[in-house]
Amino acid sequence: MRRTFDTGNAAITEAAIAAGCRVFAGYPITPATEIAENMSRRLPQVGGYYLQAEDECAALHVCNGASLGGLKAMTATSGPGFILFADPFGWALSSEIPVVIVNAQRVGPVSGITGAPGQGEFYLSRYLTHGGNFETIVLAPSSVQEAFRLTVRAFALSERFRTPVIVLADQMVTDGWEALEVPETPEELAGMGLEVVPRRAHPGPDFYPASDAIDVPPVVLGRGIGGACSDWTPTERGLDTEQVEAQHKHAHRLIHKIRSHRALLAEHEAFALDDDPELVLVSYGTPSRVVKSAVAAARERGLSVGGLRLVTLWPFPDELFRRRARYLTVELNWDGQLVREVERAAGAGSSVHFLGRCGELPAVTELVDAAATLLGGGSLRRRGWNLEAW
Amino acid sequence: MDALAERYLRPEKWPGTACPGCGLRLLTREILETFDALGLGVNDVVWGTAIGCTGRQTYAAWKGDAFAGTHGRVYALATGLRLALPPEKRLILTVGDGDAFTIGLPHLLAAARRNVDMTVIVGDNLGYQSTGGQFGVTTPLGARTDSSPYGAWEPSWAEEGLDVLGLVREAGAAFLARHTIYDREAVVETLKTAVATRGFSLVHLYYPCHVHYGAQALGSDELGVIARWMRERYRATGVVHDARGARPEFTERLRRFVADVQGRKARAG
Repeated sequence: MRRTFDTGNAAITEAAIAAGCRVFAGYPITPATEIAENMSRRLPQVGGYYLQAEDECAALHVCNGASLGGLKAMTATSGPGFILFADPFGWALSSEIPVVIVNAQRVGPVSGITGAPGQGEFYLSRYLTHGGNFETIVLAPSSVQEAFRLTVRAFALSERFRTPVIVLADQMVTDGWEALEVPETPEELAGMGLEVVPRRAHPGPDFYPASDAIDVPPVVLGRGIGGACSDWTPTERGLDTEQVEAQHKHAHRLIHKIRSHRALLAEHEAFALDDDPELVLVSYGTPSRVVKSAVAAARERGLSVGGLRLVTLWPFPDELFRRRARYLTVELNWDGQLVREVERAAGAGSSVHFLGRCGELPAVTELVDAAATLLGGGSLRRRGWNLEAW
Repeated sequence: MDALAERYLRPEKWPGTACPGCGLRLLTREILETFDALGLGVNDVVWGTAIGCTGRQTYAAWKGDAFAGTHGRVYALATGLRLALPPEKRLILTVGDGDAFTIGLPHLLAAARRNVDMTVIVGDNLGYQSTGGQFGVTTPLGARTDSSPYGAWEPSWAEEGLDVLGLVREAGAAFLARHTIYDREAVVETLKTAVATRGFSLVHLYYPCHVHYGAQALGSDELGVIARWMRERYRATGVVHDARGARPEFTERLRRFVADVQGRKARAG
């Protein structure tokens, strides 16, 4: 085990190498540039290929092509590049080609502020391409070490589910420095509970089974067995078709291969939820670290408060919100994104509230005050804006 | 089904769903004749396609490995795939004029700059025909189409001294040529050179769309009308640029670079 002090960007790089990534194509963008730089140094050392593409759309397509040929691939970006993934993300998703995408979220909309954290792509990560008829896997790290773990996991899931997997980080996770343990042997990796799924190739010819089965090897071209792979609605043999029945089967597969394996994907961290607190602070990524401290501080004040940190964002863990409670989402955006999903998932009798911020983290005291206000029957208002009116 | 089609194409995809009389069938035959002449089998070629008539109608007709990319992006996809393919596999793309010269141009130029080993066969039917007939960047000036009802007023990339292949040449392509598909023997000779090129090659092939272009721009959907017009108009054809071997191929260069880095590391370590 190599113990270092490094950034989330470095953790993601080392995790990708450990997971068998041998192709990285990207385009420089703050705050994800360091991942590209690290990959440009590390990949040639392990016989891999680093490419700088003409834009992010091409970057992900290059990754897709490499994966179609049997090489594991990754790209990394931030908001303005993430939006350009719409086209190649859809291609990989519909063609069922594994690939890993990292998004270091910064402040938006659009170019916004480059070097500050945001959480504006919660929904975009779910609906990164057009056309509907699909489900998405999105994982959200909140520390440098977890960025390592979730990147390795993203590669494993992308292979097992034959789908692009998104690591939805934020600028503080990727740029932040922390202690980092990097396993140096497969045993050490396994000791951390991490699995590396090797690339397998489908023996053919049935590439697109009309089922929600996972662990179906993806199509790999170049082996001379007559594989066919496209973003058209496929027949089970991968030929294009305009038949509605085939489209139904394809859509069903894209949705339910993920939804029916929710249990395998679900992951969260609970802060003091054992005594069924009246108020639950809900968050993901860096804000969770403030939430964790705020939960402890609030409980010291005798407030009935707990916390829920989402690790798997999509498919959304509806089951975590069945209990009747007050839920307060703490997010790095002013418009309220996570809160909408919590409101949808929360059972009858629950109330759902929102505390937004952007480019900076809320203070612990601010969260404790918000908790006290809500538990006292008040509503949250700041700077004259009604932040609950999302 | 003729012998070459039987040998190389999936029976359910031939003659395919292109309009009766579409020039794409002759274009496909010319490609098959090329493979036959070069002694290439089904397992020697990976065949990629894109969108539009040329892309859609040729997808997975090939019995061997076949893929399709999104509109204009298949050059980036193919660049990634080339990294993973054995060097001896031939990689060909059949794409349309819209795909290659408008929406996909930056990606096409990037592939040319890197000298990625692929053969791009641009089937040019003079505009966007699969969407019903709108002008594109190779549609002649003044041509009436569904989106130029008063005649196309914009200069195309084939008039007033402009030539889109000039861009591709300057971007670093190894081999460029242009024909109409009617020059069957010459097309096959050119394609043989292009497919055998280790590096980026592109063959620009004009083919007739009598259903839309003929009807809208030439006033007749008779095959003979567009055939006569096309033969007359696009006479100056052949090899446009031949710089085969002048620059290292993409994967060759990259693999050498990676080996060099590893060597440096070993020496330093």
